[in-house]
Amino acid sequence: MPRSNYQHLATNPSSSPRRRIKILKYVVLASFAIIAVRLFFIQIVEHDYWTARADEEHTMLETISAKRGEVYMMDHDEPVAIVLNQTSYQVVIDPTVTKKDEIKTALETYAKDYIIVDFDEVYNQEGLRYSIVAKNVPRDIIEKLAEQNLSAVYFKKVNQRVYPEGELASGVLGFVNNDGVGQYGVESSLGETISGKDGLLKSTADVNKVALSIGNDNIKIPAVDGKDVVLSIDRGLERKVEQIVQSHIDNTAADHASALVMNPNTGEILVMANLPNYDPANYSKVTDASLFMNQITEVPYEPASVCKSFAFSAAINEGVMSADTTYFNQGYEIVDDWKIQNAEQRASLYGTLDMKTALYWSLNTGSIHALKLLGGNPNQITQQGREKLYDYYHNKFRLDYPTGVELAETEGIIPDPNEGVGRDSTYANMTFGQNLNITMLQTATAYSAVINGGTWRTPTIVKGFYENGEVTPGRIPKYSEKIEDKILSDETSATMRDMFINNRSYKKRGGIDRNGYDIGGKSGTAQVIKNGAYDDSMSETVGTYIGFIAPTGEMPEYVIMVKMLGDGRYLDGGIASNLFDDIENMLIDYLKIKPGVL
Amino acid sequence: MTVRKHKSDLVILFSTIGLMALGLIIIYAIGPMRANVLNSTYGSDYDPNYFFLGQLRTVGLSLLAFFAAFKWIPYKYVKKYAKPLMILSLVLSALLWFLALIHNPLAKCELGECRWFQFGPVSFQPAELLKLAMVIYLADFLARKKEEGTIGKWQEFWLPLLIICGASLFLVVIAQGDLGTGVALISIIFSMLLVAGVPAKQYLIMVALVVAVAVGAVATSSHRMERIDAWLTTLSGGESTDSTYHVENAMLAIGTGGLAGVGIGNSVQATGYLPESINDSVFAIMGETFGFLGLFLILVIFATMLIRMLKVAEGTSDTENRLIVVGVFAWTLAQVVVNIMAMTSLIPVTGITLPLLSYGGTSMIFLAYAIGLVLQISCYTSREVTHNEDISSRGRLRGAHHTSRRRSS
Repeated sequence: MPRSNYQHLATNPSSSPRRRIKILKYVVLASFAIIAVRLFFIQIVEHDYWTARADEEHTMLETISAKRGEVYMMDHDEPVAIVLNQTSYQVVIDPTVTKKDEIKTALETYAKDYIIVDFDEVYNQEGLRYSIVAKNVPRDIIEKLAEQNLSAVYFKKVNQRVYPEGELASGVLGFVNNDGVGQYGVESSLGETISGKDGLLKSTADVNKVALSIGNDNIKIPAVDGKDVVLSIDRGLERKVEQIVQSHIDNTAADHASALVMNPNTGEILVMANLPNYDPANYSKVTDASLFMNQITEVPYEPASVCKSFAFSAAINEGVMSADTTYFNQGYEIVDDWKIQNAEQRASLYGTLDMKTALYWSLNTGSIHALKLLGGNPNQITQQGREKLYDYYHNKFRLDYPTGVELAETEGIIPDPNEGVGRDSTYANMTFGQNLNITMLQTATAYSAVINGGTWRTPTIVKGFYENGEVTPGRIPKYSEKIEDKILSDETSATMRDMFINNRSYKKRGGIDRNGYDIGGKSGTAQVIKNGAYDDSMSETVGTYIGFIAPTGEMPEYVIMVKMLGDGRYLDGGIASNLFDDIENMLIDYLKIKPGVL
Repeated sequence: MTVRKHKSDLVILFSTIGLMALGLIIIYAIGPMRANVLNSTYGSDYDPNYFFLGQLRTVGLSLLAFFAAFKWIPYKYVKKYAKPLMILSLVLSALLWFLALIHNPLAKCELGECRWFQFGPVSFQPAELLKLAMVIYLADFLARKKEEGTIGKWQEFWLPLLIICGASLFLVVIAQGDLGTGVALISIIFSMLLVAGVPAKQYLIMVALVVAVAVGAVATSSHRMERIDAWLTTLSGGESTDSTYHVENAMLAIGTGGLAGVGIGNSVQATGYLPESINDSVFAIMGETFGFLGLFLILVIFATMLIRMLKVAEGTSDTENRLIVVGVFAWTLAQVVVNIMAMTSLIPVTGITLPLLSYGGTSMIFLAYAIGLVLQISCYTSREVTHNEDISSRGRLRGAHHTSRRRSS
């Protein structure tokens, strides 16, 4: 057999098995050589390229959400929750799928109260892919729905803020928007202290985005949860004050009113009411965005005659004036060719008056006289006078600085004493609180210094943090600076208190202020600038009143400031004082302030 | 001339067992990842060791088949059944096709291709049997025709050959949609024809014919054109599409491996990015795990094994035995080269397992049996025959002389 093969091969060598097997050998060598070169190319030459691509595909960046801190207020001595976190769910359906009736029935059976759409409408709308059909659904209901195993029904987890007190103090609290970002109020101003800081997880992940332990550049930065913040605001007091303010809005021409109660000796804010409130849980339904602004800290205005408190205390503190200093009141004053008039023009007031009387009747000529005395010349306003007043307003009372409270603030404006035209008239106006722009809180903080013995203190709205069931004192890092500045002498402060109490002597006679309490105050009625000039017709004015309560013979413990305004409405200090009266009397009852004995 | 039985080819023996062991190691490393991916994606409930235990079982059965062919069952008994085996294979493939057409659950389909019989937990791929049957049958057929001296004749040779091969290819490529097995079959058929001594002219005509049919089949099928297109896109670095996903991720795995690989158990591509990570794509995972050095070693092992098979074929005087060896060689070569070239984007992707390494029952068992046959035959090679042939060819062909000298040194 082999022999015949051999013969055959001899005649046709090209078909010999050995030659042909050799061809196969070349096929093996050639293919493997190609493969080896190719592998070298991919694994060695292109290695960096593929590694970079792999990183791109395998690396997963995931945010670890920080838990947002909750907000508490005090209620007498107990912290109470005002803003809480709650996890709820949204039900999302894909309307293009079948079994529509099944989905509808299941939702109507288990989650009827949370449905926000008309099912027929959703089903009939063409091209609609995903539709939220129910909102704010609690977890237990979602679990029941999940048991139904409905296809094309999805549940989306939503973290939301809940407000057990509804609209209470909404101007202070602010809200959290759909992206989880705090807007307005403490939700915004407390920054990372309340929001916490999201962590980051960078890891190699499998195709289903589940993190793997493989890989050497996995990073985990844990989330820092936000702190539970306790506000110094007293919940019960805040609610009472808001009710009173609302009733005054209802019964006067005002459509906005604000009230502030603070402790002049510590700077602690007990009430910060901005009415009307809004519902922070439904912030998106608010059409007037100005409602989000905190009228007390963010909106500067002219508090008017309230500022006589500052001009008077400046002159008294400089030793150039006392409560008994006299001047001649002719009912008006000509400065820089401007005729500045008193609001009160009764004839009995013309002639020589003391400063106590001038403050009682809130005579502009009186505060202009204080400015003259500051300048060392009782007959005219001088540069020295302007500079002295500026020094007090700017450096001592800090009227144009943010107060440093833990809220968004707007800086005030105090005109420069030596620049611009009409400086004397500007400074004359500034003595009775016009031609400057300051916030209620700036005013109240400065006023606190006037009556507390002369110390300017940074106001605060944060008492501390709620930790392990109790309140731990602490300050927000961003607002850690706390200023205590003795700007007035004790005597000046005492003189001012006496004059403020004297201002309210008619209230005491009228039985509004109770016996056993020293209650002082100052009103202000500000003309509003219309078309670039003060509107002398007084068709729109802002009414302000600021004062204090002290048990007779003792130092004041509470400063109350109110502001009332209405678009195109006349609201004066007298109207505002009525609101002050109601708050002051409620405060004595609610806080059980004991009368002093004298 | 009688040839005395001697030791088998130890290189092929140890290569085979070594590759199986390597396959076990890699499946041990990535099997749990595969189970995890399937469980989390499809909600199945695979035990982490499911795939490793499966591979262990397959390797056990493959070793049984291997030693059965190698040691226990003399080939002369097997070759008596060449024809019935071929007929059985064709009948089984035809039956599978029929069952698939009537949607019988015995026919197991994946992605629209029905390639498996399913009997309870056991599945069986008739195409693997068909490859083995093709090798055994063709060896028998070609040896007979050679003895009859009818090789190259139309009626006695080409006609029956075309019918058998055509039917096999139809059932595999068209009915089962298994292009990979089709390529392996074509490789087997043409290698055996080559070594059987089909006249060169006829051989080349047949090659041209097959190429023409292949081109036609590709051009008329949008599905196949898509694969070609995906391949060209990947080659030219074009934009990724769903079609290029598989090969891109294979290259990503291989490329990430670099020189020395990321190490056993550190493959990221096996965690679900690379499709078929334990089956057809296992080479890519090995590239990621063992790097260029590891892959190069695997290539060397395969190449050595293949070259040794050819050496056995050369040393075998019996035509039929020699053709068996060539058939098994061609089968192994096709699977190795097509699989690896697809993974490295040298050719379009065709579903084909990597011999002895891929997870998969039927394919490893049958190939193990086939390699066992080669080893049995390797016990009967004869240096004398080789030597004599060398002597007789001296003077007629210089090249052969040099080759022989190199080989015997």
